[in-house]
Amino acid sequence: MVFTKSKAPVITRRIFLGLKHDRRSLGMILFAPIIAMCVFGIAFSGEVEDVDVIVVNYDSGAYIPMLNINISFSEKILGNIDTDVLNIKYESDEEKAMEQVENGEINAVIIFPEDFSRTLVQTIAAASGEGNNSDIRSPADFATSFITIRSDNSNVNVANAIIKAFQDALSKTMDEYGVEAPVGLEVDPVYAEDAEFIDMFVPGIMAFAIFLLTTLLTLISFVGERTQGTLERLMATPIKESEIVLGYAMAFGILGTIQAMILMVIGIVVFDIIIVGNVLLAFLIAALLAVVSQAMGILLSSAAKREAQAVQFVPLIVLPAFLLAGIFWPVEAIPTWLRPASYFIPPTYAVSGLRSVMLRGWGLEHVWYEISILLLFALLFLTGAVAMLKRSRR
Amino acid sequence: MPIIQTKNLSKHFGTVKAVNNLNLTIQEGEIYGLLGPNGCGKTTTIKMLCGLLKPTSGSATVFEFDSMSRKFQQDIGYMPQETALYPDLTVHDNLTIFGKIFGLSNSELARNEKELLDFINLHEKRDVPITDLSGGMRHRVSLICSMIHKPKILFLDEPTVGVDPELRLNFWKNFNELGKTGTTIIITTHYMDEASHCTKIGLMRSGDLITEGTPADILAKTNTRSLEDAFLAFTAREVA
Ligand SMILES: Nc1ncnc2c1ncn2[C@@H]1O[C@H](COP(=O)(O)OP(=O)(O)OP(=O)(O)O)[C@@H](O)[C@H]1O
Ligand SMILES: [Mg+2]
Repeated sequence: MVFTKSKAPVITRRIFLGLKHDRRSLGMILFAPIIAMCVFGIAFSGEVEDVDVIVVNYDSGAYIPMLNINISFSEKILGNIDTDVLNIKYESDEEKAMEQVENGEINAVIIFPEDFSRTLVQTIAAASGEGNNSDIRSPADFATSFITIRSDNSNVNVANAIIKAFQDALSKTMDEYGVEAPVGLEVDPVYAEDAEFIDMFVPGIMAFAIFLLTTLLTLISFVGERTQGTLERLMATPIKESEIVLGYAMAFGILGTIQAMILMVIGIVVFDIIIVGNVLLAFLIAALLAVVSQAMGILLSSAAKREAQAVQFVPLIVLPAFLLAGIFWPVEAIPTWLRPASYFIPPTYAVSGLRSVMLRGWGLEHVWYEISILLLFALLFLTGAVAMLKRSRR
Repeated sequence: MPIIQTKNLSKHFGTVKAVNNLNLTIQEGEIYGLLGPNGCGKTTTIKMLCGLLKPTSGSATVFEFDSMSRKFQQDIGYMPQETALYPDLTVHDNLTIFGKIFGLSNSELARNEKELLDFINLHEKRDVPITDLSGGMRHRVSLICSMIHKPKILFLDEPTVGVDPELRLNFWKNFNELGKTGTTIIITTHYMDEASHCTKIGLMRSGDLITEGTPADILAKTNTRSLEDAFLAFTAREVA
């Protein structure tokens, strides 16, 4: 039997040769992700200002016998809030205030409990040794005063700005009194849970860029193969449909990995992200996403007769990924009725996989789930693309 | 045993009978010219013979294989009617890609490429992207792209469109030489002067084969002196 070498690498080579001459596509592959990352990064890392919050202040103050005054620490703290950042309104009804958070009029409700100042004074007194109790070593042994922040975390950087404004005001107030007192900020997210924007951002934009560019470039490239007649010419040669699809998959898998590398470097250099996980595992996820995306591009190409029609698919590709894949806000922040849609789009798994690897440092033992689902998508879409090509011989 | 044979080969696109009960027999080394007006089914016939289109009914065998079997693709060359090349790639790159798909070694490729560039007289454009070529030049490159692996059967769909007269003459000289060395060529054209170079002609109209024979046969049948007149005579006869 004659050993016949796979012809897939020839297709891969063809794509790279084409990129060599097609500077526009090459630029899109190399620079678009960088530009997107910088634009989003700068836009989202800017100072947040004019955030509307409601304060519900139950604090009844604390009586200081020594000075014979009633002092309210909550008012001192509120007085130290940076008013550029927060617009504070007051409300006595906590429920009414919460309603406004839930319907989005207000970003957060801040609650000072009734005993806020009393607890604080006790703690400070204890810490300064006036209690004459030698067992007390640190203020931490005492009850802590709590400020509760109930914020709409679905906009993570707004939520973070509120917390930071309060932390700053707190430490400023404590500095004024020359004391160190434990005031806890109890953050109670109404929607999304613990997320820090820049952490989520880099892996998110990585997945988004790879998904979008790969799908789009394959789509355009394949519509080209059809309209130029080169696909027909290929089909009259001994090449198999699977070799054509595989050739494309290899080319875009490599390109996806290169994009991931570029974005990682930008993330590290410009945005100071620290990658704790295995970079190779991250590349694997990036390459897998690229393979899934290119197969999707080939499948979509059957619905487009001309390049111009292909461009009409752009919103169809961009919007679901942008909104549902958990790039800018966690999937958990998406309304429950819409959430199943998130689980049907491949970038969702790449985003979560990349995040786990790059930021949590998780290994294969944790991200096998995301990787297997991406593999499943790849298998499904690649088989679909091959079947679609075979169907063209009718 | 004929190298190509069709039995009631038909292709219908909805209500359009693009090819209708076609019975062709083509021998090895023949230069078979498929002629006929626009839309008579020439391209559709060629695509079916290459295994690109599935017949609606009837069948075709190429090298004794069914046309849809995909067992003979290594030995055929297909030049589509539209210039089918990668526009961003150079002439050399296009030839290399298709040569590699046919499994040519680098030395075979280099040898064939040189020979074929000689044939179309386009050495100076070897490293120029297709987009920067003139229409006729693209057509010439498209032709040799289907010949890079020296196939046993060549399907050429209007290979001489937009090619200047001198080169066209040269093309036909080459096709005749190929025929003598055993290459079979199925060719379509609208130039009647070219048709006289064919060893056999099939005249199609609205999907039907209306007559077949050597150029001399056809002239004798219609009692005309040029194929042009013969062609018109046949179409007139059909209408009447
Ligand atoms: N994919 C298709 N779908 C529908 N109809 C088609 C398709 N391809 C060809 N046809 C129709 O089949 C008929 C034959 O077309 P074909 O391309 O074979 O003609 P042709 O002889 O090659 O013409 P020309 O000299 O213009 O190249 C035409 O009526 C054409 O409209
Ligand atoms: Mg035609």
